[in-house]
Amino acid sequence: MESFLINLLNGLSWGMLLFLISLGLTTVFGVLGILNFAHGSFFMLGAYLCMQIMHIMPSFWSGILVGPLVVALLGVLIERVLLRKVYGRDISFQLLLTFAILLVLDDAVRIIWGPGYHVVEPPAILSGVFTLGTRTYPVYRLFLVIAGPLVGLALWLFFQFSRWGRIIRAAAMDREMAEGVGIRVPMLFTVVFALGTWLAAFGGALAAPHQSLAPSMGERIIIESFIVVVCGGMGSFPGAFAGALILGLFESFGTVFLGSAQMAVPYILLAAVLLVRPYGFFGREV
Amino acid sequence: MRKGIIAAMVLPLVVISLVLAAPAWSAPTVKVGFVYIMSGPFSAYGQFAKKGAELAVDEINAAGGISGHKVEAFFEDSTGKPDVAIRALRKLVFQEKVDFLIGLDSSGVAKTVVPSIPQMKTPLIITHAATPDVTGSVCNRYVFRISVNLPQNVKAAAMLAAGTDAKTWTTIGPDYAFGHQSWEYFEKYLQVMKPDANFLPKDAVAFPPFKTTDFNPYINKIMQSGADGVLVSLWGGNLIDFVRQAQEMGLFDGKRQVLMTLGAATEVLSALGDKMPEGLWVGTRYWFLANDSQRNQDFVKAYFDRYGEYPSYNAHGAYGALYTYKAAAEKAGGIDKEKVIDALEGLTVELPVGEITIRPEDHQALSDVSWGQTAGHANYPIRILNPVKIFKAGDVTPSPADSGCRK
Repeated sequence: MESFLINLLNGLSWGMLLFLISLGLTTVFGVLGILNFAHGSFFMLGAYLCMQIMHIMPSFWSGILVGPLVVALLGVLIERVLLRKVYGRDISFQLLLTFAILLVLDDAVRIIWGPGYHVVEPPAILSGVFTLGTRTYPVYRLFLVIAGPLVGLALWLFFQFSRWGRIIRAAAMDREMAEGVGIRVPMLFTVVFALGTWLAAFGGALAAPHQSLAPSMGERIIIESFIVVVCGGMGSFPGAFAGALILGLFESFGTVFLGSAQMAVPYILLAAVLLVRPYGFFGREV
Repeated sequence: MRKGIIAAMVLPLVVISLVLAAPAWSAPTVKVGFVYIMSGPFSAYGQFAKKGAELAVDEINAAGGISGHKVEAFFEDSTGKPDVAIRALRKLVFQEKVDFLIGLDSSGVAKTVVPSIPQMKTPLIITHAATPDVTGSVCNRYVFRISVNLPQNVKAAAMLAAGTDAKTWTTIGPDYAFGHQSWEYFEKYLQVMKPDANFLPKDAVAFPPFKTTDFNPYINKIMQSGADGVLVSLWGGNLIDFVRQAQEMGLFDGKRQVLMTLGAATEVLSALGDKMPEGLWVGTRYWFLANDSQRNQDFVKAYFDRYGEYPSYNAHGAYGALYTYKAAAEKAGGIDKEKVIDALEGLTVELPVGEITIRPEDHQALSDVSWGQTAGHANYPIRILNPVKIFKAGDVTPSPADSGCRK
């Protein structure tokens, strides 16, 4: 029973991290129509900047608040200077461009912080363990389980009920019509891309106390996030939530029951979803 | 992009050094190619190797070069992928015309590329990859290894394990040949030394994939298994993540014996700092405090003065390989590739790690293996080993007949 609970928490905490990353990816795709390969690099930058800011202001909270904001500013710059040029063009331009950004950012991290490993300490209040029957479980992991849905819920409320959220959804649905009724779409796209990068970087900062920092650390999470987004339905919020939850739990329980066959789980899941529901759990046919 | 920057920085230097150095060096240079992982998550290993190599190049050139030839170093990125590594090696041999090759981090890369080295007719010293196969089933005339290999390191682990009261052993290791072979050899050696030891079956031990960052499910599995001994063959970032998460989960609560075959790597110890629990048995290929010979002290001091950090085993590997090549070329009386190979066979050379001898039968170096228990020390920012336990090469190296090498 305790083991079951621990597996459940493991799956949930990893799933929630995946959810935050996938949320940024799916939002940027849903609104801008851009498949952002560099998303994992923003995740990495979030973690590194969180660490860097903790050197200046030694508190995890300052790192997690300021770090992702700096990355979001970089997102604004990238959208304005680079992405804007390729909106109307063939999808291969977007893929090449975002892939190039990924390479540049990965190398920049290696040049600035070196190729070695770094670790970030969780804040004192979250660093202990709590007792679960005869076992212990880290408090920080529980924090991840709670933080993910909270951020997701806040974002969902924002999109669903705020004026800005409605405008963004309108622009995503029909760009020309939105421009026709006087919405400044280019500015909107900048905001949405910045939001997407912030989500990735926030996920990175959240992940920093739990995994070591090294160049290209975004590689794994970006692959799984793509799987989550495709399974959940491109551009779908509940889809990202369901996909991340399912993938997280499959991996956690798969490790215990399937052994090394567990590696194949995300890909089998992806293949199955594509066969049965090509548009994902919550995707609509286009 | 990277190449552009490197070219932009290196070109002026090359021109200046050519102008300045031309009169001093009448003999042609000896070219040495280094292939390590220079990009991606494991680029730290390539960076260490490069630091060690550059230190050796500068020291050797300052002392007159190799047999009168100035050393010129070429670095290539294997990216940790066999096909890229092969291309890098071919480029070094056929384009840059190097006289000697040094490198290879990953066992997977090493095992795949080693059979192609004879076609390149250029000797290679492996300094990191630990798979028994490169000086075993796929050994050949052109490939040597001066670093400690997997059976040597794991035999030492088994000897330590035999001295503990742990009865049932399990493992956690990366899910590729290295992790699986570490466990197989450990089982093989410990069974002989301690016949009543139990080993969990293959499906009950933990082999997380390389890309794992969340080790909790595996830690959970180990803690459920009832084993009281754990062999950890994770390394690098995997090991750092594992140690921190296992610490939180209470794996190091003193109820289990934990042996980490690569826990004494400086990149792991520096990242973990005081988060590395004390009193764990950890091994490595080279430990900078393991011997106080003048050779080692000079190396550690030169490395620390130049880079501001203590040399990792991979820095030592690349550094030591160049000195091994130097000794072989001097013994051979020149840099002719075939003659250097003959000289390398049976060569004994003193490196910082101690005296090593390259066995002529399988080209594996006999090198002492360092293990130790993690301990804090006021003078070092990282955990050091105290006590250090040195295993003599003769006690931990399988005989040439057992290596599987049929050249």
